[in-house]
Amino acid sequence: MQEASEVAPEAPPPVAGLAPPPALGVLLVAWLFAGLLLAFILLPLLQLVATPSLASLRRAAGDTDIASALGLSLIGAALAALLSATIGVPLAYLLARTRFPGRATVAAIADLPLCVPHTVAGIALLMVFGRRGLVGRPAEALFGLQFWGSLAGVVVAMAFVAVPYMVNAARIGFEAVDPRLEKVARTLGMGPWEVLLRITLPLAAHGIATGFALTFARAISEFGAVVILAYYPMTAPVRIYELFLRFGLDDAVAAAVLLLALSLALFVLFRHFVQRVAPMPGIGR
Amino acid sequence: MSARGLALDGVSLRLGSFALRDLRLEIGTGEVLVLLGANGAGKSVCLETIAGFHRPDAGRILIGGRDVTAEPPERRRVGLLLQSFALFPHLSAAENVAVGFRGRNHREARRAAEALLARFGAEHLARRRPQLLSPGEKQRIALARALASRPELFLFDEPFSALDMETRDALRDELAEFLRRSQIPAIFVTHDHTDALVLADQVAIMERGGIVQSGRAAEVFARPAATGIARFLGVENLLDGRLEQAPDGRLRFAVGGAALEVAPLPASAARAGRPAIACIRAGEVRLGRHRAAPPDAGASHLEGRILSQRSLGPLCTVTLDCGFRLVACLMARDARELGLAPGAVVAAQIPSDAVHILPGEALG
Repeated sequence: MQEASEVAPEAPPPVAGLAPPPALGVLLVAWLFAGLLLAFILLPLLQLVATPSLASLRRAAGDTDIASALGLSLIGAALAALLSATIGVPLAYLLARTRFPGRATVAAIADLPLCVPHTVAGIALLMVFGRRGLVGRPAEALFGLQFWGSLAGVVVAMAFVAVPYMVNAARIGFEAVDPRLEKVARTLGMGPWEVLLRITLPLAAHGIATGFALTFARAISEFGAVVILAYYPMTAPVRIYELFLRFGLDDAVAAAVLLLALSLALFVLFRHFVQRVAPMPGIGR
Repeated sequence: MSARGLALDGVSLRLGSFALRDLRLEIGTGEVLVLLGANGAGKSVCLETIAGFHRPDAGRILIGGRDVTAEPPERRRVGLLLQSFALFPHLSAAENVAVGFRGRNHREARRAAEALLARFGAEHLARRRPQLLSPGEKQRIALARALASRPELFLFDEPFSALDMETRDALRDELAEFLRRSQIPAIFVTHDHTDALVLADQVAIMERGGIVQSGRAAEVFARPAATGIARFLGVENLLDGRLEQAPDGRLRFAVGGAALEVAPLPASAARAGRPAIACIRAGEVRLGRHRAAPPDAGASHLEGRILSQRSLGPLCTVTLDCGFRLVACLMARDARELGLAPGAVVAAQIPSDAVHILPGEALG
């Protein structure tokens, strides 16, 4: 029984990485355009960050209106991400693991918010979640829950535009789970629910956590849908918009930099957390 | 039905356009059945049905004497080993094995897993993740994991198919030894004949969802029941001829102007004048420089001109024209000593019991 252990671990499967490097000309052109892209993204952001003085940043951070707007954005985005995970992960599982008539349509519906203009989404949501809406009216009558101009409305608007990211990332996570592992788990004595909880979900955790991070990032940056369904209580993007309209660029910039710093810090933190806690599982090959 | 082991009693299943047709098998304690077949023959579906992932439309499945036809996989007590062994990548080796110990608390399961790993000489791997294990180590962890769930049947679905030949040989020997000692019956699905020859007590051959031949491994390899099976098993010589009555009353197989001695046939098959196929394994043909002995009933003696020769490392195959094409296989050293070369005439000897007759068949 000893010889076999001398065999070296299996080499990783050969990937396209063995392709010859592209020619110099191709590389130069590709890097030229890549440089344009990086500049296009970084230049405005760096300019923005460089503009406000430390004093004005400190003043903005001390402003209770701005602070509460940032806090509301944080809480709203976190709740929207949780809501998206709750309703998005089961659909992701179905799309990854089952074939049913209309599956492509269902997947397309889940992607629909990506191509609905966000102000349009806000108006559509208002019609359903507003005081006289299909959901809004019974929610208020039965639970006293109001969407128009409330945190609930912020969460609904954020979740609507962000939930496709959850579905798609979690779906990729589930698709990466080798179904043979689930079969083996069954023969080892696990029932279907236990397989789901102990094998499938942990192995899909990377996709789900990635989806959570993307959903959160998308939610905290949402303006169009939020501004229509829940102008008040003001989230940070709405607050910044109002500062811009009422007092001009200078006053908006400091708040904008604070929101940017917060969003980026959280996104980086999430990514780091995902890598640490739910690393991409090696497929058991 | 055997009290222990496995019995398939007329199992049928329709899955879309594919169907398993009336499978009947019996495997006793400690026996290994190798299920051979081309891709798409239904071997894996057959295993999955036994494991409980498909519910048969008809028939019964008995494992260890229990009728498990209606049971879900988790209650069948089968150990499933798949290609590359399918270890849980998010669990360490010991945690993988601990999954097999059901109904114990975490700490007990963990301790039992470590004890079991020690029996496999793998205690040093306990904390290792599967990605860092060699194929041999993975096999041991997977066997330990399956064993932990106290299976009454092992099912192997081409566990070696992603491995290089050397590793395959080592793992196959290790597995044969494990199965011999565990005395747990097993089905091993493969399309590699070597797996069958090394591991099998019984062989069953599947074609289009049905079992077309089964029996002792040596018997199936020596006596395929039809030309399709003979081809699948790699019989080198399939000769298209007819049975003839010699003046002395014995039956011979006539092909290309020659008459081959055959072992006595069952009465039902022994009809002169009938077309037939003769199967002769290349390794049964002996080559020499001169005709060795006078004709006798024990062997046919022929002469043939060498058409071509192919070296396979330690072995060498030679194609002769004896009035029909005959492939012989011999050791490279013997071939050198005989001084074989294309165009040379050599003597060939075929023992009569090496000529397997398929009466009433013709090559398509």
